[in-house]
Amino acid sequence: MNLLSLSYLLFIPLVWVLTRLVNSVTARPMKARQLLWLAASYLFYATWSLKFLCVLVVSSLVNYALGIYLKRKPTAGRLWVGIGFNLLMLAVFKYLPVWSSHLGQGHHSWLLENVILPVGVSFWTFEALSYLFDIYREEDLDPSLTEFCLYMAFWPTVLSGPVCRMPELLPQFRNPQPTGDDIADGVRRIVLGLFMKTVLSQILGSGLRPGEGVDFGFNQMARGWTGLDVWILAIGFAFQMYFDFAGYSNIVIGTARVFGITLRENFRDPFLSTSPAEFWTRWHMSLSSWIRDYVFMPLATWRPQVWWRHASLVIAMMLFGFWHGADWTYIVWGALQGLLLVSHRQFQQFERRSNLQLPPIVSSLGGWAITFCAMLLSWVVFRANDLHQARLMFHALVHFSSYRHFVLPRNFVLMTVVIAVSYFVIAGLRRLAENMKQSPVVLRIGWALSPVMYSVAVLAIVIMSIHKAVFVYLQF
Amino acid sequence: MTEAIMTEAINTDSINVDAAKNEAIRQMTDYILKEIVRRPGVEVTPDTPLVSSGLIDSFALVEIFVKLEKLTNRRIPAAKIQPKDMDTISSMFATAERLGKPRQ
Repeated sequence: MNLLSLSYLLFIPLVWVLTRLVNSVTARPMKARQLLWLAASYLFYATWSLKFLCVLVVSSLVNYALGIYLKRKPTAGRLWVGIGFNLLMLAVFKYLPVWSSHLGQGHHSWLLENVILPVGVSFWTFEALSYLFDIYREEDLDPSLTEFCLYMAFWPTVLSGPVCRMPELLPQFRNPQPTGDDIADGVRRIVLGLFMKTVLSQILGSGLRPGEGVDFGFNQMARGWTGLDVWILAIGFAFQMYFDFAGYSNIVIGTARVFGITLRENFRDPFLSTSPAEFWTRWHMSLSSWIRDYVFMPLATWRPQVWWRHASLVIAMMLFGFWHGADWTYIVWGALQGLLLVSHRQFQQFERRSNLQLPPIVSSLGGWAITFCAMLLSWVVFRANDLHQARLMFHALVHFSSYRHFVLPRNFVLMTVVIAVSYFVIAGLRRLAENMKQSPVVLRIGWALSPVMYSVAVLAIVIMSIHKAVFVYLQF
Repeated sequence: MTEAIMTEAINTDSINVDAAKNEAIRQMTDYILKEIVRRPGVEVTPDTPLVSSGLIDSFALVEIFVKLEKLTNRRIPAAKIQPKDMDTISSMFATAERLGKPRQ
């Protein structure tokens, strides 16, 4: 069941009505509600594949048992047993099919026929790992088996996160209290998410006509690229990814909100960041904070030397890249992110040592411009079909004679620029409105504009839904 | 008589420990303000949220962790630490006391 399908839009109200029914009819509403949500989650996941569901159930049962084992005696050795099991799960179900393609023909075909890649495996395996880490850190967690299985399979998050933590979800599973405001906010976010995905991400990815769009632009190897093309493709892909994954996040966070569950946020205006460090507190926040808490912090504090802290940053970001898949483009992208973070740190050190105090406007604007351009260039490596293509595209970037014209269709160039500029205008206006939200004028304008904006959004979703849309992050 | 002397000695010890801890907290506050935050107009007290408010990033958190180990003269197992344990200066020192082992 795709989040963009009609069946999913019917599935939400059906489960919501059943939840209300269970709450009012049963003697033990908490237990009954949790069982209902678990059944709904398993049903939702089984619509993708029964085999996927089997892997998820086995992983949930083993991780629950590992949690009990670790809780009895929270030692590093027992934690490593849990880490080993989950890494093995990822190795077998996520990386083995890719690695098998590097083996001989016989092994390759057998592995590809027999190993499945359960959708969302990277997300719910990381949730299981964070649970084990939290038990090791002696967090007071006592989930029942039903609650643990629900934590792993919760249908809004099972496909592509946000990567949740048990201490945040457990109290909410026990006592969700959806208010009218939650429901209104949830529906608003679902509509916004659908608009971001089915309209904005879709037209950037596929273009308005065949032979346009980011996907076509990156695949037109034969025609090559000019420097201007590469910049436009980088901008187009950055915003395609943002609207795709932030749109998805809005849909699932909104869905959970309707049921009274508040999930972690995943995005907060990432393209307004004024440093790479800030960018990673605004982009895929649930995963970046996971990497910070469970990889970077233990690794960086292992040795006191400054060089080791820098190395830890690069290693953590390379793991971040590797999490996306066993491809060199992801690993190089991760290493680039690590180097950007280290460079930013070096600049901060230089500022400290030289007592350099740039005017705030210069520091903010300069920081934003450098961060935005650096992130765009790193997305080229992430999206390129292989490192050879990335090299060709960077080659075009540094040949200034190639900046005279576009090879890409003019419509696509114009559309990308309009979408990017609109993003900054809207994000800027939203910040302004947030600062003035108590003003009666702003409140009245907001109320007057809401129905118009929602009508336009719904109309655009209906028109664009004739295209078959798939979330980019499902592949991870 | 002996009991009274022992009680007085314990009280004096605890006063010294408190004074040393307060001095360490003062040094940490100073370090965070002058070396990490470095923004005019920002106030940092022992109870100011540092990580959850976005005042410091994860790299700075590691620098603060290393400083904390030096100031408390304890080895703190980082894998046992949760982000909330490092969110304020007070909680950092409480964590160091709870989890840290005195250095030889």
